[in-house]
Amino acid sequence: MPTMQKQAFEAISDAASKALAGKPPFERAPYSPEAGEEAPHEAYSYWRSTMRIFLRNKTAVAFLAIMAALLVFTFVQPLIPGQKSPTEIFNDERGIQIRNAPPSREFWLGTNSIGQDLWSRIWAGTRTSLLIAFAVAIIDSALGIAMGVVWGYIRAVEGMFTELYNIFDNIPQTLMLILISYVLRPSVSTIILALSITSWLTTARFIRNQIVIIRDRDYNLASRCLGSPPLKIIARNIMPFLISVITMRAAIAIPNAISNEVFVSYIGLGLPLAIPSLGNLITSGIDKMLEPSLRYQLIFPAAVLCLITVSFYIVGNALADASDPKNHTI
Amino acid sequence: MQRLIRSAVTLVVVIAVVFGLLRQMPIEGYFNNYDKMTPTQIRVGLERHGLNRPYLRALMSFLGNLLKGDLGVSNRYRVGYPINSLIAQKMPISMSIGILALITALALGLPLGVLMARSAISAKRFKAADKAGSAFIAIVESIPFAVYCLFIQIYGTELIRKYIYLPMLFSKENIATWFLPVFSLSLANMAMYAMWMRRYMIDEYSREYTRLARAKGVSEAAISTKHVFRNAIVPLSQYLPTSLVVTLMGSLYVESRYSIPGMGGLLVDSIKRQDNTLVLALVVVYTALSIAGVFIGDIAMAVLDPRIRLTRSQEAR
Amino acid sequence: MKRFKSALAAVLAASIMLASCGGGGGGGPTTGSSGPSTDVYRQLYGSELTTLDYVATGTTVEYSLLSNTVDGLVDFDRYGNPAPALAERWEHNDDYTEWKFYLRQGVMWYDYKGEELGEATAHDFVTAAKYANEAETDASNQYMFEFVKNAQLYFEQSADRLEAANAVADKEAASIEDFYVANGINPDEFIAFDEVGVKAEGDYTVVYTMEAPCTFFLSCLSYNAYLPIYGPLLEEAGSSFGTDITNIAFNGAYIFSEYEPNVKRTLTKNENYWDAENVGIKRIEYIYNADEVTIAPTMARNGEVDFAIIGADILDSWMKAEGTKDIIHNSMPNPSFAYFYNFNFEPRFDAQYEPDNWLIAVNNENFRKSMFHALDRVKAISVYEPYDPQKFLINTITPRTFTMLGSVDYTELGNLNAISSSDSFSASKALEYKELAIPELEAAGATFPIKVLMPYNPATTDWDKECQVVQQQMQDVLGRDYIEIIIEAGPATGFLSAIRRTGNYAFMKCNWGADYADPATWTEAFTFNNSYGFFYTNENRVLSEKPATNKTAATQAIVDEYYSLIDAAKEIPLDFEARYNAFANAEAFLIDHAFAVPFYMSREDGYTIDRIDPFTIPYAPFGVSRYHYKGRVILDKSMGMDEYQAAYDKWHSEWKSLQK
Repeated sequence: MPTMQKQAFEAISDAASKALAGKPPFERAPYSPEAGEEAPHEAYSYWRSTMRIFLRNKTAVAFLAIMAALLVFTFVQPLIPGQKSPTEIFNDERGIQIRNAPPSREFWLGTNSIGQDLWSRIWAGTRTSLLIAFAVAIIDSALGIAMGVVWGYIRAVEGMFTELYNIFDNIPQTLMLILISYVLRPSVSTIILALSITSWLTTARFIRNQIVIIRDRDYNLASRCLGSPPLKIIARNIMPFLISVITMRAAIAIPNAISNEVFVSYIGLGLPLAIPSLGNLITSGIDKMLEPSLRYQLIFPAAVLCLITVSFYIVGNALADASDPKNHTI
Repeated sequence: MQRLIRSAVTLVVVIAVVFGLLRQMPIEGYFNNYDKMTPTQIRVGLERHGLNRPYLRALMSFLGNLLKGDLGVSNRYRVGYPINSLIAQKMPISMSIGILALITALALGLPLGVLMARSAISAKRFKAADKAGSAFIAIVESIPFAVYCLFIQIYGTELIRKYIYLPMLFSKENIATWFLPVFSLSLANMAMYAMWMRRYMIDEYSREYTRLARAKGVSEAAISTKHVFRNAIVPLSQYLPTSLVVTLMGSLYVESRYSIPGMGGLLVDSIKRQDNTLVLALVVVYTALSIAGVFIGDIAMAVLDPRIRLTRSQEAR
Repeated sequence: MKRFKSALAAVLAASIMLASCGGGGGGGPTTGSSGPSTDVYRQLYGSELTTLDYVATGTTVEYSLLSNTVDGLVDFDRYGNPAPALAERWEHNDDYTEWKFYLRQGVMWYDYKGEELGEATAHDFVTAAKYANEAETDASNQYMFEFVKNAQLYFEQSADRLEAANAVADKEAASIEDFYVANGINPDEFIAFDEVGVKAEGDYTVVYTMEAPCTFFLSCLSYNAYLPIYGPLLEEAGSSFGTDITNIAFNGAYIFSEYEPNVKRTLTKNENYWDAENVGIKRIEYIYNADEVTIAPTMARNGEVDFAIIGADILDSWMKAEGTKDIIHNSMPNPSFAYFYNFNFEPRFDAQYEPDNWLIAVNNENFRKSMFHALDRVKAISVYEPYDPQKFLINTITPRTFTMLGSVDYTELGNLNAISSSDSFSASKALEYKELAIPELEAAGATFPIKVLMPYNPATTDWDKECQVVQQQMQDVLGRDYIEIIIEAGPATGFLSAIRRTGNYAFMKCNWGADYADPATWTEAFTFNNSYGFFYTNENRVLSEKPATNKTAATQAIVDEYYSLIDAAKEIPLDFEARYNAFANAEAFLIDHAFAVPFYMSREDGYTIDRIDPFTIPYAPFGVSRYHYKGRVILDKSMGMDEYQAAYDKWHSEWKSLQK
């Protein structure tokens, strides 16, 4: 822990110089922040160590590969020749829709109840859900971290932020969702807005709590005593500690957003069926769960969803562990 | 005391905001056969829902009744029925299931976390426990609750039915029907507690004071319980009251899947049906509960960890 | 791991113990699954009652259940003929302006425990009518009183009184008088309830006086707004009337004996009911399940419940599977509710969907006709009804079998006959009209493809699917260079206000439900100032800041003629033949000019597993009779399709022979 060592060093030398004030043979050195910065640095690169530790985790690497493959395939799938349209309804020779056809050579994962190809719907749905998830995760992390840091560290605004948090947190999300969908009509951007309007609160609170736990630790007290400006303490003392949790949060924000989208679809406020998403595919699959021959309509989208969320989760966690400087010394 | 006043202010602001938002709800939603009603009928309906009253006046009279402890009567969810009795009927059910789930989560999650932590820092051959536990946590944390809850219901019921007859739906009198909902509900918390426990245990194990204790010759067991566990439990202690409070609100998924007549889904239902008085009442109850939960959590944390100063302004979760 | 397992076991044991302590509560043991009973009928339900006030409610779940517990004046039997209920007999004067009902004597009111409260008398009908027409009650079906003399006037005045009282309570007005002055209300004009056309003559005669001749008043009486209320109880309960089973009284075939919201409710046969011998089912048990729709089929198959709707999703496989294929049957088409595709003449949607272009198109009759003939309704309905779509398709706005003139169905009268005998879908006709429309539209300045905004309500089951089917099908017929159908989800909450009533659509499925047994009820969606297609001109009807004045002269001429046809039909109150023919011709005129595309009539529950013999259910396109359990018979097993068809044919011929 280089920062800690450095601070301890500063603290001890400062105390020693106070004790020996005015006494030869040592002159008291004047306080100089620049000189403080000149503490010895190890030959150490943060990101290289992070990388090294991450690659050591075989499971995570495997899931990273799965995740990458999934992502690439999801976006490449419509370009592959011979893929069906996710919204076209297929009719048989007599002009009747091919409803609920089980998986076959023609329809790899079967069809849904109006004769649309489930395979292409799942990938189209994954695209929609990932788009939503990434957008929400970015808004969530950016807003959440910024707010969380301010809230946690700057005592002057803490009270106000806490009250604001309590207010926002207690306005039911469903109410917001209903109003948003009433004003804006269900669409991808509506869902993004609806999901991110409340989700960043959780991130902000999480970051804030981490900061509260760390900010009064001895070395931060020491830094504060030594007159380091708050921004510097945040950037140098607190942020490194937080990078790991932030990484984890950001990685979890994606499965979270996907889960939220499923939830919102479940309570009937999700995307219209004409825009397939994992949420509405699963919700319409739920209606068929008690019919073993139709369970494929739930299991396939659920499997893809689980694969995505699990891999994001595991990769995110591994990255969090790897980016934690505490683990770099081992 | 000061804090209490500020909490009350928060509550009032929340009520005012929600009150304002509810006013934006579509008028049609207050009527069951809007299409056929005459204009006078619609006028009368709006009058009865208090929607013709000016915002401030309506807000004031709601707050006035609230001070008297009267949450009013439901308008659409169960017309004319006192909300106090509605909540009094539903809350105990959600609470008993929620508390059981919380106990299950703690009783299984904490030991699992300790087990994982010890296995993680131990010699290589014990790492299996940590790996299995991590896999469990990863699955529970990442797969949407809606999805695994559903699978537990379908396959769980099928599995148990091989041994005893199990109705698919919850029934207060039939103990067997409590098992799956409680279990589904506890998984998320279980995983969370295990994860936190593991993380903090490992952190604390590598701290200087643990090394010092070990160097002094304190036994491993004493280190675990006296030093490591006590320190690791601090962040958890802050969440516990909130989790407890959350049980009162019930779980929308579990309760609707198993037909449990609890609080879960009541809020969503009342919003969708535009039962404004019920929405407000629930918001009041939930806000009060969550403020209380945070408050108790902060106290618990400060009691357990003297390093954390509970200053005047520091009170979020 | 061993420790983990033992901990798990311990916790399980603990939770079970706690559960058994915490459970508590009353209620007997749940009924086991013994052999099929013909006394008890069990079903799941997913939506809880919001009120037990059967007079005020406007939702089917409530009045369908509660009307089993309270008898009104008149019922309808299984062939749709009026049958005595509390009224033993009735009569009307020559011009149908006064209806007299002679009540059965000795019928008692009971509480939920079955204890006698008092006798049901004519006064209970007056009490209920006053209650329903009091603004404070906020009764959903109050509009059903529109035919009763002075009822609307009384209701409107009571609304004024209510607002005045509230304004004073809110200190918005200094006194009630001030409020009246400020709002231009003259309290001297207030009428007493005595002046409303409902009176008790003695204890056993109820007299209704009509605003105008009303031949179909019996059909109105079957609505819940006309059910009686036990006066003393209403007085005692006050505003808590109907909040719980302790606050209502029963005089019907069943007593609402158990009510535990979100758990269960039970109707128990009223042994003292005047017609108890015709009440076969002794108990009706409703078990709550929020996911009733998905769970009920499996439970019905296992014999755990007696009723389940088999949704389109599982229908295919269940119709093939052993064990289920013999117990699924269809429902009767219900002519009380019908769907049609509507054209919007006052488009107010977003500029990106080109409302001005649509306006040009919709005013062109050949364009409308090309759309009219391009819609393959069989394909669209097969989303809901894959096996027998013809049974529910209708070619007229008024569903067939809704009302008869002698033995002739209304839809076969006058010019409607030609329309009802042929399917509107014809790709070749659609293309013919398309060829005619293109030059005309180009001349009028339209650009192709014409964008057709077709919204749907995401909360309505399978409507989204129907839209996708219709979109693809119509575009395939007419070509994507001619029309481009855009389907858009409207808000699930407040759909009608946001979409239909504000002109926020181009072409959309709409519906209408009948209120009474007269063809006039089906014209209400098209009358002046309707909120459907807005094809009238009215400067005062403002939609999104623009008045409804955008019709071309050609359209206006057709509309004017339609309205004059309707007005002429309404002028014939008593000559059934002339009246029905006039309405039929007006409806034919509307369809001929492609102002709407008739679609299908209500399928009720669609395919079901239901142990009740469907032909013992009262049959009536209006009112609450068809929800009555009285007279229903439980079979040993639910009918299969073949049995159903045979029974239907038998019923239908009996029904046919009764129409004269």
